Amino acid sequence: MLERTLTVINPLGLHARAAAKLVRMASLFESTIKLERPDTGVTADAKSILSVLYIAAARGSSITVTVDGPDEGEAIAAIEQLFGSGFGEIST
Amino acid sequence: MNTEDVKRVGGVIISHGQVATELVAAAEAVVGDVSHIAAVSIGWHDDVEMAKDEIARSIANVSSGSGVLLLTDMFGGTPTNIAAMFLKEDEVEIVTGVNLSMVIKLASSSGDVTLRELAQEVEEQGKEAICQAGTLLEPQKMKKDA
Repeated sequence: MLERTLTVINPLGLHARAAAKLVRMASLFESTIKLERPDTGVTADAKSILSVLYIAAARGSSITVTVDGPDEGEAIAAIEQLFGSGFGEIST
Repeated sequence: MNTEDVKRVGGVIISHGQVATELVAAAEAVVGDVSHIAAVSIGWHDDVEMAKDEIARSIANVSSGSGVLLLTDMFGGTPTNIAAMFLKEDEVEIVTGVNLSMVIKLASSSGDVTLRELAQEVEEQGKEAICQAGTLLEPQKMKKDA
């Protein structure tokens, strides 16, 4: 099991399109991927779009990502990269 | 994930005016594949028989044998009343009061739920999606004040 705390850096936060991107990526992996906002305690399944939207993470929010499964290493790297690029919405 | 060979429950969104079409377009922007969902927009002055025919055609188009879920805009409205003519146990189910979350739920459903289960899930999702955002964000506000 791997855990990372990542920050939402794009201006619009984890809005519908960004969440959709995350879900599409998460669904490529076999591992279970969970998100949690430590400040509100709201948790989400990263493979369910509606679940991810409920996290309501604005810009600057911290999200703890927990990945567990056979491809957890690749999954966490891909998610870290996605958060790092602001879900592809900001140029790095 | 291959969605081509999965027998999914089909969906038809039925509304007054263009609401249905736009809801499906918005869901497509979020989820991607919405090929199993059709939209029927009923104009204020449309003929009931024509609207009924269009719904029948749409049901046939999206049906893959696992049933079709009709989502209508408002209980008691004409779209719902016309849709009700198609109600058939385990074949056609209706949930009223459609919102974008419900369409997304339907669009992202996997092939392993029955029509009845999906109708229940979509109804619950729709209700859950309605909230006063202020109440939802309460824990953060409290933290800021502290």
